[in-house]
Amino acid sequence: MKSLFSRLKFETKLNLGIIAIVLGMASVLLPVVAKMTSSALVTENKLRGAALVESLAARAVNPLLAQDYLVLRNLVGEIGDVVYAFVQNADNRVVTHSFAKGYPVELVDANRVGSNERVNVQLIDTGQIFVYDFAAPIMVAGERIGTVRIGLSKSRLNATTKQFVSALATMFGGVLLAAMALGSIFARTVTRRLAKLRAHAEDLVTGSLDNLAVLPGEHFCWEIMNCKETSCPAHHDRVRRCWLVPDTKCACHACIIGPKPSSCRDCPVFLQNVGDEIQDLAESLDFMAFTLRDHIRGLRDAEQTLTNQQRLLSTVLDMNPDLISLVDTRMIYQTSNRAFAQSVGKTVAEIRGLNDFHLFSEEEAERRNLEGREVLITGERVDRQERVDGPDGRKWFHVVQIPVHDESGRIVSLLRMDRDVTDIKEYEQQLIQAQKMESIGKLAGGVAHEINTPLGIILGYSQLLKEDAPPDSQLSQDLAVIEKQTKVCRKIVADLLGFSRQGQTDKREMCFNNSVMESVSLVRHSFELDRVQIVTRLDDSFPIIYGDPEKLKQVWINLLNNAKDAMPESGGVIVVVTKLKTPLGIVTLDVADSGTGIDEVSLKKIFDPFYTTKSVGKGTGLGLSVSFGIVKDHMGEIRVDSPLPSDFDLPPLPEGAVKGPGTIFTVDIPLDHGSEY
Amino acid sequence: MTLARLPIFILLFFMAACTENEPVVKVDMSKVESVAPLGSTSAITYAYLPQYSHSVSFERHRRLLEYLRHKTGLSLRQVFPNTFAEHVKMVERGEIDISFTNPFVYISLARLGSEAFARVVEPDGGANFQGQIIVRADNPAINSLADCRGKRIIAVDPNSAGGFLYPFGLFFDHGITQKDFQEVAFATGAGGRQEAVVLAVYTGAYDVGTIRKGTLDIVRDKIDLDQIRVLAESRPYPGWVYSVRKGFDPAIKDKIARALLDLSASRHDDAPVLAAAGMIDIISAHDEDYEPIRTLIRRLGLNGDFQ
Repeated sequence: MKSLFSRLKFETKLNLGIIAIVLGMASVLLPVVAKMTSSALVTENKLRGAALVESLAARAVNPLLAQDYLVLRNLVGEIGDVVYAFVQNADNRVVTHSFAKGYPVELVDANRVGSNERVNVQLIDTGQIFVYDFAAPIMVAGERIGTVRIGLSKSRLNATTKQFVSALATMFGGVLLAAMALGSIFARTVTRRLAKLRAHAEDLVTGSLDNLAVLPGEHFCWEIMNCKETSCPAHHDRVRRCWLVPDTKCACHACIIGPKPSSCRDCPVFLQNVGDEIQDLAESLDFMAFTLRDHIRGLRDAEQTLTNQQRLLSTVLDMNPDLISLVDTRMIYQTSNRAFAQSVGKTVAEIRGLNDFHLFSEEEAERRNLEGREVLITGERVDRQERVDGPDGRKWFHVVQIPVHDESGRIVSLLRMDRDVTDIKEYEQQLIQAQKMESIGKLAGGVAHEINTPLGIILGYSQLLKEDAPPDSQLSQDLAVIEKQTKVCRKIVADLLGFSRQGQTDKREMCFNNSVMESVSLVRHSFELDRVQIVTRLDDSFPIIYGDPEKLKQVWINLLNNAKDAMPESGGVIVVVTKLKTPLGIVTLDVADSGTGIDEVSLKKIFDPFYTTKSVGKGTGLGLSVSFGIVKDHMGEIRVDSPLPSDFDLPPLPEGAVKGPGTIFTVDIPLDHGSEY
Repeated sequence: MTLARLPIFILLFFMAACTENEPVVKVDMSKVESVAPLGSTSAITYAYLPQYSHSVSFERHRRLLEYLRHKTGLSLRQVFPNTFAEHVKMVERGEIDISFTNPFVYISLARLGSEAFARVVEPDGGANFQGQIIVRADNPAINSLADCRGKRIIAVDPNSAGGFLYPFGLFFDHGITQKDFQEVAFATGAGGRQEAVVLAVYTGAYDVGTIRKGTLDIVRDKIDLDQIRVLAESRPYPGWVYSVRKGFDPAIKDKIARALLDLSASRHDDAPVLAAAGMIDIISAHDEDYEPIRTLIRRLGLNGDFQ
């Protein structure tokens, strides 16, 4: 019932309420009013009857005394709307009456009145109607000379009462109809406004916050108050009432934000613009919409800022080559950067929601998981380097794992960054190698310097002794061996001094190509005997460098010899290329061969002193070290790559030659003379 | 009691408060009866000339009749003629046996054969009584009988002794006749005419009024007597008289006469009887006692018949 009532339209409810009120009033009032009316009529009728009967008794004195029955008859006949009237004499005999045919015998004794009473009233039921019978004594000088009786119809009173009640009921009906009509008009007025409000509220719900439920008033606060305070937020605010604008600057009015604050009660602005409750509601809606719009605008701004920051962060993260990932306390991936996603063969979107076991091998996943959980539990960051041997070779990563805390200091997630430091590691190795070589150079230089002098004395004395010894004697031959081996030692010592750059250098401007061609010419013939051809591709611009031609030639011959030594028995081809790279400020020499190539392990040690792959007696292992030292002395670089790059243009091999992986040595010599010039 | 039940309670309260029970008498209106004739009564009829209303007449003589009934053992009944003329007619028809009338009416009755046998002694005038001429006390235009000329005058009745005959005799003695007045009117109605004359002067309807002496005491309760001034009084004439009709049994007349004459104001039982009738004594009377009246009638040019 209640839900049914609550579903009814407001207009129907109002009409039902009015009907209930009017019917309720009619139900309560009609019986009461009927009773009261009846009672009042009866009372009034009794008074009237008493007055009539008393009057008749007074007027009947003279005719009764005079026995003037005609006058008496006229008297009882004169009384208008009575049912009957009759007069009794002192002996209670009826002397006159108003009945058409005789008087009812039983009526005479139906009502008695004492001589000391004024009137006695008795209700009489005639079987057809109810009659109020009034009896009054006819008194003269204290003596009773008769009785007057009249009867007034009570039934007529009842009819009158019914008539009155009918009229009242009709009136209630009229009031009901009028109330319903007025209520309907009123309800329609209210519901129309409520419907507008509802539509406005629906607009608000759908996000249309710019419409107003209440049209702006005709008069604004600054007009009414003649306010010049242009800095007041209410000034020229044509949308809101001033009591809905926060922080107004009314000096004489304590305006406080909010609908109808008590401080507004006496304000002329408020009194002029205030409306009924519906308008208040509408204004509140407008105020809410206004506030909501502000909030939404703020939220949108914040969202835009957030989006921008997110995009920026995403860009930064994605541009970052490090592998960055974020997992929650359950070790579930929340996000990652693009590098991480690519490293595990997924997209960034696919990463979210996965765990380590989805992305890595079971062993690695187990390791990462345990380590991550450890960080989440202990809250201590992990900062270490990790070696990974993968299909792409060995790689080094710098791993940092940081716990992320929320506002309350609780750990909510874990940030992991894996930075690829393989190159740094290589540089580190190279640096160590360089330092090692420098130390060896210094050591070798020192030792060679100390040995060079005794070697010279040994050589000198052995030559002196040889001159004194008979030429074909055993002594001379022995001394010759001593002289020869001492010279070998001097050569080794000279190489050591060259490696440690402690030898004498004679730098000057020189033609790079000439230096190369002189070296090639020197060895070309002997190489050809071993079925090794030399092909030159020299830069036509004849680059000029600042260097020591002899030492550089030593480098070129060393490289050419190494190339030839790498050739199989079937021979091969050596390509010598020079290129002037003016933008880089260098000139480059490439010595490429079709030989057997160098394995990966040897490549890293090839410039180490005394490292050689040649058989004993064929090399000291100082050639490339010395070349490395000479190139460094010229501020240049020397590097090796094996096998040959696939795009290298290798000329056809001599007939019968077998092509190997090949090796290419590259030497960069700066054109700039540097600080030494 | 919950609020929801409150309206029901109020309704029941109102309905209970409105309930009333009145005793009812059932009457069968079909049993009817005609008014039975009262029948003739053998009582001796007694009538008081209707100078006052019937009730006053009844009140004045009720005790006297009771006294007579008790004293004589006779059955007496008071009858109430409406006018002087009716009174005379009823005497003539024999419907009134004993009349108590003023002397002027008695002159008429005497012509019909009535016989006076007693007369009353009134408190102020002894056995005789007077007429009075009254005006309003604040009427400055009338200070003497002569000032009454040309004025409007009202008298009790052409057959009234004290209320007309005696005052007009006084006017006649002063040379003023009915023709000298602007208007001569008589009070109308059945009884109460003396009072009507006083009221007519009191209200200013007439300038001059003629009444029998003693009337003003009767109207003392109805008007302010200070507003009434007695201009003049007539000479005393014989007062009211008891007479019997022609042919009435003389023995009964004597019996009644004796009873009346036997009344004495000094007796404790009789005093209220006499006082109620406005008398202090009743004395015997004879027809010749009323010769001065007959003389006055002749002087005024009246024919002496009842008018």
